[in-house]
Amino acid sequence: MDGGVTYQRFPKLKIREMRDDVVKFELRETDASMANALRRVMIAEVPTVAIDLVEIEVNSTVLNDEFIAHRLGLIPLTSDRAMSMRFSRDCDACDGDGQCEFCSVEFHLRAKCLTDQTLDVTSKDLYSSDHTVVPVDFSDPNEPGEQRGIIIVKLRRGQELRLRAIARKGIGKDHAKWSPAATVTFMYEPMIRINEDLMENLSLEDKRSWVESSPTKVFDIDPVTQQVVVVDPEAYTYDDEVIKKAEAMGKPGLVEIEAKEDSFIFTVESTGAVKASQLVLNAIEILKQKLDAVRLSDDTVEADDQFGELGAHMRGG
Amino acid sequence: MVVKPNTTPDLEALRELFRHHIESFDYMSDKGLEILFQSIKGIHVHDSFTNKNLRIWVENPKLHRPAKELLSKTMHGDLLPYKCRQAKISYTGSLKADVYFQWDGGAPIAQEFDFGQFPIMLKSKLCHLRDADPQKLVSKKEESSEMGGYFILNGLERVVRLLILPKRNYPMSMVRNSFSDRREGYTDKAVVIRCERKNQSSVTVKVYYLRNGSARLGFWIQGREYLLPAGVVLKALVDTTDHEIYESLTCCCSEKDEREKGAVATQLVGERAKIILDEVRNLSLFTRLQCLEHIGEHFQAAMDGLENESYSGVANAVLEEYIFVHLDNNYEKFNLLIFMLHKLFSLVDQTSVPDNPDSLQNQEVLLPGHLITIYLKEKLEDWLRRAKKLLQDEINNKSKNFDFCNLAHVKKVLDKNPVKQVSSAVENMLKTGRLVTKSGLDLQQRAGFTVQAERLNFLRFLSHFRAVHRGASFAGLRTTTVRKLLPESWGFLCPVHTPDGEPCGLLNHMTSNCRVTSYFGSEGDVRDFKKIRRDIRSFLIGAGMMSLQPMLVKVGPPKFLSVLIDGHVVGSIASSLVENVVANLRKLKVSADTMIPDDLEVGYVPLSLGGAYPGLYLFTSPARFVRPVRNILSPEKSQNIELVGPFEQVFMEIRCPDGKDGGRQNAFPATHEEIHPTGMLSVVANLTPWSDHNQSPRNMYQCQMAKQTMAFSSQAIHFRADQKLYHLQTPQTPIVRTSTYTRYGIDEYPTGTNAIVAVLAYTGYDMEDAMILNKSSVERGLCHGQIYQTETLDLSDQSSRSERSQRMFRRSNVDKSMHSLIDSDGLPYVGQMIRPNEPYCCIYDEVTSSTKTNKRKGSEPVIVDYVAVDVKNKKPLQKVNIRFRHPRNPVIGDKFSSRHGQKGVCSQLWPDIDMPFSGVTGMRPDLIINPHAFPSRMTIAMLLESVAAKGGSLKGKFLDATPFSSSVKKEDGETGPKPGSLVDELGEMLKEKGFNYHGLEVLYSGVYGTELTCEIFIGPVYYQRLRHMVSDKFQVRSTGTVDQVTRQPIKGRKFGGGIRFGEMERDSLLAHGAAYLLHDRLHTCSDYHIADVCSLCGSILTTSFLQQQKRAVREIGGLPPARAPKKVTCHACQTSKGMETVAMPYVFRYLAAELAAMNIKMTLQISNSAELSN
Repeated sequence: MDGGVTYQRFPKLKIREMRDDVVKFELRETDASMANALRRVMIAEVPTVAIDLVEIEVNSTVLNDEFIAHRLGLIPLTSDRAMSMRFSRDCDACDGDGQCEFCSVEFHLRAKCLTDQTLDVTSKDLYSSDHTVVPVDFSDPNEPGEQRGIIIVKLRRGQELRLRAIARKGIGKDHAKWSPAATVTFMYEPMIRINEDLMENLSLEDKRSWVESSPTKVFDIDPVTQQVVVVDPEAYTYDDEVIKKAEAMGKPGLVEIEAKEDSFIFTVESTGAVKASQLVLNAIEILKQKLDAVRLSDDTVEADDQFGELGAHMRGG
Repeated sequence: MVVKPNTTPDLEALRELFRHHIESFDYMSDKGLEILFQSIKGIHVHDSFTNKNLRIWVENPKLHRPAKELLSKTMHGDLLPYKCRQAKISYTGSLKADVYFQWDGGAPIAQEFDFGQFPIMLKSKLCHLRDADPQKLVSKKEESSEMGGYFILNGLERVVRLLILPKRNYPMSMVRNSFSDRREGYTDKAVVIRCERKNQSSVTVKVYYLRNGSARLGFWIQGREYLLPAGVVLKALVDTTDHEIYESLTCCCSEKDEREKGAVATQLVGERAKIILDEVRNLSLFTRLQCLEHIGEHFQAAMDGLENESYSGVANAVLEEYIFVHLDNNYEKFNLLIFMLHKLFSLVDQTSVPDNPDSLQNQEVLLPGHLITIYLKEKLEDWLRRAKKLLQDEINNKSKNFDFCNLAHVKKVLDKNPVKQVSSAVENMLKTGRLVTKSGLDLQQRAGFTVQAERLNFLRFLSHFRAVHRGASFAGLRTTTVRKLLPESWGFLCPVHTPDGEPCGLLNHMTSNCRVTSYFGSEGDVRDFKKIRRDIRSFLIGAGMMSLQPMLVKVGPPKFLSVLIDGHVVGSIASSLVENVVANLRKLKVSADTMIPDDLEVGYVPLSLGGAYPGLYLFTSPARFVRPVRNILSPEKSQNIELVGPFEQVFMEIRCPDGKDGGRQNAFPATHEEIHPTGMLSVVANLTPWSDHNQSPRNMYQCQMAKQTMAFSSQAIHFRADQKLYHLQTPQTPIVRTSTYTRYGIDEYPTGTNAIVAVLAYTGYDMEDAMILNKSSVERGLCHGQIYQTETLDLSDQSSRSERSQRMFRRSNVDKSMHSLIDSDGLPYVGQMIRPNEPYCCIYDEVTSSTKTNKRKGSEPVIVDYVAVDVKNKKPLQKVNIRFRHPRNPVIGDKFSSRHGQKGVCSQLWPDIDMPFSGVTGMRPDLIINPHAFPSRMTIAMLLESVAAKGGSLKGKFLDATPFSSSVKKEDGETGPKPGSLVDELGEMLKEKGFNYHGLEVLYSGVYGTELTCEIFIGPVYYQRLRHMVSDKFQVRSTGTVDQVTRQPIKGRKFGGGIRFGEMERDSLLAHGAAYLLHDRLHTCSDYHIADVCSLCGSILTTSFLQQQKRAVREIGGLPPARAPKKVTCHACQTSKGMETVAMPYVFRYLAAELAAMNIKMTLQISNSAELSN
């Protein structure tokens, strides 16, 4: 405490791009543990709603019951409400039979093919008891006519599928179907320094071949000055190709690339269950809750003596 | 998603793989049966009382299409294969034939007899599925690409296994030690010919060389070998003079040729000829008639039904039926015997080498139709023989109510020997694969002729039809010579596709373009071999062959070469002309519009110094292997595919199509060219991408594993009732594939999943061929699958039928506990989950009015998938199929493999967030394998596949990974990609898309978020899930059943037994000094026993409990009676003084008892440890 190092920092977040399903942002002034925690929470711990129980009444399709249930489970449902819902195992109001508005949503599906044409049963055929929890709509707003539900099964004449399904809140750690994130990734922001002196000594041909040695377009040659310039440092994948190339050309130290230890560029893609931006916010919220749980739990207070100074630090001292 | 426009694959290539099975059966039903029936000699029954003769023979066989059993008049129709599979019955058609009766040469009376239900091969000409297009097949509940070629017997699909036989009608010189053991004076040398009759039964004739220079002819009749002096046979065959025989035998040697290249005879031949002739003279046989009578006298007893024949008649029958049966007249037989003697003498004089019976050059194959034909022949003859015996018995009994001349009476007697058993014998043979035969049918084995065609996956199913077995008799052999991969089998048998272990090298697989010749011509017509042979002969005569027919000139190698067509010596041809003739023959073979068949085998064995015996051997026969190669001498480009056989290939110059000469230079210019190097591989081996970059054993392992893969086994899975069927729920088509994959439409039955594979050592759970699966990937459906298992219950055919108990499916109304599982009809609800030990059906017995439930065994819950009932009869339900579904999603311990012999066991389902991820794409691998899997195994193709699949998926196209494509010259004269450029090509593709050239990527630790110190090789690899799953194998036990005798835990997973803690395990614990654990395993948890030992006599067997005497015990008020101590006494010592209790394994006591039974007494010296130390 007295004179101890404090690790507290104040991360900054800058949004670069924001769409419904994709968000890109910079996270600065923190370290890898923070960035990775955020990634892990987004993938595995932000809750969504997904079909968890399926009661099949009639199934004369070519797919078996478990197969259909599995497919239903993987359909993303709009889960904006998920943060405020209860896990059905914690729900006091019900016995988890799907009738409870706090923890579950009921779906019905009835489809029968009566014609000779193959009938596609899609997520559009799922009828929800709650209008806030419905299968994610992937149809293109520019082409309103086209129905683009997720195909569950195809029916031939005479085949029928009738079922009741219950969606529940859950997290991706338990089953991948509850994961709201399609992809979450981050990279360290690279710092690229070209040794201009050495570069000057290269012929244009050498420059060109050096620039082309990188599979991604990080460098380019200025058409006017014929100097090598960094066009897109973030395209650099840390593959060391240019460094190896420089060494192969007998010019080690031609370029120096360092990863900034404290700034990260995040890309978050959502499955549609939650908006990508909301996903980030939810993740931060959950991360906070988790930290609170550590800080406030009685066990930790009791265990203070063991932890000593660290315990006090955890309590915010 | 890319959907390919071409959805109906061309099935012709696939059909070709099954063709030989179907064609052989087709020939049997078309023509073979008729020829067979004609060749069976009738029986003569003689009634000595009335002195009348009855002749009975069979003719006009008719095989009908499978039809339903006619139980009522209204039910009528075709029996379809899928019904047979579900109802567990056989796919059979009725075999009918006319039986003729003729009394004393009167007018024959024909009666149609029903020979029973004869198995019909699927997709043969008699099958209802013949010529059905995919749509029709689907409507008949079959696979859309059903190929047939198998039989359905009791609902099981069985294939006749192809067996290797010695090449028919080709005299082979052999050296075998067993020959010299035949009798005194025999050497180990012989020339052997397996002659085949027109009805496909065969007789092997051996010409042995005797130490005195003579020769003996050996052949088998009814399981006994008979030996005849060659001279006697020669004289008996043709009316000839000794001089002529001498001339014929010595024609091949002339003094000046002796040292010349290609000379086969030495001066000794003349001496031998003299000995042969002297032998005949010594038997005082001078004329042909004397020889015949000599033979007849000795064979009368051995020949059936010729008891009343004259000696010469018997001799003629012997010559006709057992000696060179493929030839029609005695002149031809005489010539062949002379030729064989020449070859024998040359073998003895070491001017030619013995033929290798293990080489494919001297082999052909046994096809299903042929096997059935010869078996049927034996069974028909059996039936006739038995019929004769029955009639004869009836006559001898002189019973009043039997009139020999009355057809009805005769038929009644014949009915005692039901004719239907002929077909059922064939059916049983196919069911069990076992031949029940006295003669042995000239085959080397009695069992293992058929196997079940498992549909574990399509590749396994297909391999059953391409497999060729060397013969069961070779499996037990200590030597490995038969298992060797010989160069002669190049292009016919796949060098890669053979199992390792016990059947290695014995069970081979045909290459993808190897075919088997059949009786059918190219237009589907039955070939007229007589005419073909005549045509070839007239061509040869035109080309300068000297006909042997009127025996004019006697000439032999090296000036002249003998010409044999299918084992018939037709003449000799000057060795200067022969090369030209061969070239011309090949030219005619290739061109379509000649009478020379396209699969004629032109086996020209050139003159050599002590090589193979020279000659021109032509074969037109069926059941030979052939394969297409390109004839580069052929003038027309369009018509240059020639079919060559293994016999001729050895002497041909076939080059690799890489545009080079293969080191031939100009000495041996190539005349032929391979079509593609992949032609040397089997279908399964051809599916391994870039197998030319792998170490060869890995490709062998892959062939094994491809056949054990849990895959999309069947499209008609809903209509099948297989005992066990593995099914992959979400298969994918491989991104990297070979041209074979598309050619055979394997996409219809895909076998794996494209998994993103990262090669790194992560977490340590990927050590030693273990692999880590991404838990989320599995949850999303990676490698999900299930096992379908069908339980067939037939109440009518169980043994309880005799008790006349009427049983039916019905639910008990008393026991309501099962009502949640079983419906009112006694059968389970479809879709119901049934846990172990829960009932799944309920059977009611009307007689005892009790119900019995069948309970699920096993350790995992199953789901009722399907219930099918047999409603054939109106009576209460008797036959039911219940199909269960075992969900089998990947769990720890399941086995997976790539297509490169890299198998591994899943060791963890690792959370997605802890998996390493790519900073650029965010991708996490589905699967992690250890880099140590590569250096020693050298499966470079797996690395190539990973890189290629990555590029392919980035570009959105499938990549061709056909092996050896770099060694094929393209049409425009340019060779394929230059060596080493494959990697460049793939690397450029990745680079283009912004990825590392070598397929490496920078990954970040999923746990720490920090960059991994090295770049990781990552990309999609096609992974197969193997059928070995822990759920079927795990074994747990704490306590349970013990063995009756030893009281040790029993073994066997099925019975809840333990796993043996054996000697080596014991050693290891000893070495660790883990004494307590050792004691626990071997004693406490095993057969712990407390024994009473008498320390006086040291016996543990003489102790016994003393009967507690009912003594009046004085009751002490309020206290319970004192428990009398257990009294143990020793019988021997008559006292209980020295009794001690000792803990020991129970087997020790057992040992003492066993020893006592052998009069050995075992005594224990018991002492206290305290005393011991004193």
